[in-house]
Amino acid sequence: MQTFFLAVALGICFLVFLVLYRVVYGPGVFNRVAAISAVGTKTLIILLIVGFLYQRVDMFVDISIVYALLNFIGCVAVAKYLEMER
Amino acid sequence: MEVTLLVQAADESFTILEKARVRAVDLMNTAAKLTSETRWMEEKRVRAIFRGARESRAGLQNFVVTFVILFVFWALLSGKYDAFHLSLGVICTGVVAWMGHELIFHNVRAGDMRVIAWRFLKYIPWLFHEIVVSNFHVARLVLSPRLPIDPNLIRYRTKLESDTSMVTLANSITLTPGTITIAIENGEFIVHALDRKVADDLNAGAMEDQVAHIFMEADHIYIQDVLDVARIFAALR
Amino acid sequence: MIYRGEDIIIRTISRMLIPFIQLYGLYVIMHGHYSPGGGFQGGVILGASLILLLLAYGYQDAKSRVPEKLLTVFSGVGVFIYAGTGFLCLVLLGNFLDYAMLAKILHTDAAHARSLGILSVEIGVGMAVMAVMVSIFLDISTGGVLPGEEEEKQKTAEEA
Repeated sequence: MQTFFLAVALGICFLVFLVLYRVVYGPGVFNRVAAISAVGTKTLIILLIVGFLYQRVDMFVDISIVYALLNFIGCVAVAKYLEMER
Repeated sequence: MEVTLLVQAADESFTILEKARVRAVDLMNTAAKLTSETRWMEEKRVRAIFRGARESRAGLQNFVVTFVILFVFWALLSGKYDAFHLSLGVICTGVVAWMGHELIFHNVRAGDMRVIAWRFLKYIPWLFHEIVVSNFHVARLVLSPRLPIDPNLIRYRTKLESDTSMVTLANSITLTPGTITIAIENGEFIVHALDRKVADDLNAGAMEDQVAHIFMEADHIYIQDVLDVARIFAALR
Repeated sequence: MIYRGEDIIIRTISRMLIPFIQLYGLYVIMHGHYSPGGGFQGGVILGASLILLLLAYGYQDAKSRVPEKLLTVFSGVGVFIYAGTGFLCLVLLGNFLDYAMLAKILHTDAAHARSLGILSVEIGVGMAVMAVMVSIFLDISTGGVLPGEEEEKQKTAEEA
């Protein structure tokens, strides 16, 4: 079971690198914002899988909830700022 | 010989027309009954609105329900159930519920909460089924080599009335793969659909009918339709 | 950042989520000794919930829930609780922040007194952090002048 979770975590890390292409080269700022939000979602999953690997799931669930929260609020804040500026 | 066949055919057509007439009269009777029931429910609802959600009784009910939901959330989060932590939980939940009790249930009429909650729980498996079906459809679209997508922005006027039901519909549309709600302006949804078939599913309005059924909205029988059919009704009678 | 939000979706979702976020922040403060968290982290989450309220509803509508004077009072009270606990231990003939001396007024043993002392210090820190974060957000996003004050200052300047 450990190796299965490790393989899944590495697979999702690879997907994060694919999305990072849009963060770096995305023409314009809206692509970058959406890509950062997607990276946040995958980070959440990787945190939970790492919790399984270390067999302390309860601790990592707390951290994941906080990260999901901050991802949401950050996305709303950046979107509001971009809307105001034009 | 031809005359008897003709008379027989005319006789059978007359019986068919008679059965159709009886059927139509039954339908019009049911429609009239439903209209009067709808009018009674409408009047009851208007009276409940003027009694208002700002009454102290509705405020207390909001506070108690918010307190219970938040305390269940606290008990799920905290794994320790001894007296010290539970009393801390009661104090914290009391503070949060007192400061924000009108936030979660903003304008719900007192007494509707149970019906809406039960219907919402019945809606979730249907939504899950819709998501699975859409997943297969979009996966088949995306994985085929020539990518037969046809992205369109659709403006979709909705019949829902309150904030909460519009947001529920918007979230359900976004959760279903193939469609994303972009904005809601003045009761009009702007939806980005991936494909012609998904757009047609959206315009058919099955999801909107389900959401309207949850929040008990838009269940009128429109008077103009009844009046239009009433002429035929009078002619049949 | 501070004008009225026009988006129904963000307004509705924010107002439904904010009590849960606040309760989660208080949970993180109270369980600092057992799971990751503590005073500062819980204060940040509470401040983030109030910032979400301000972002979604705009300053004019959310003004009644986040008044600036109350924020100043909160930050002062938070620091007062922290320093007050320390001084209370000093008054009871111990060192500064030596929570075992609190056992004299709480009538429990030293271990429980230390735990309750740390809990009160964390609550103070959480309150102060929440108030200061929302204050900083209001200062930066409005440029120092709140949107109701400009017209008031102009009116008093014209009347004088």
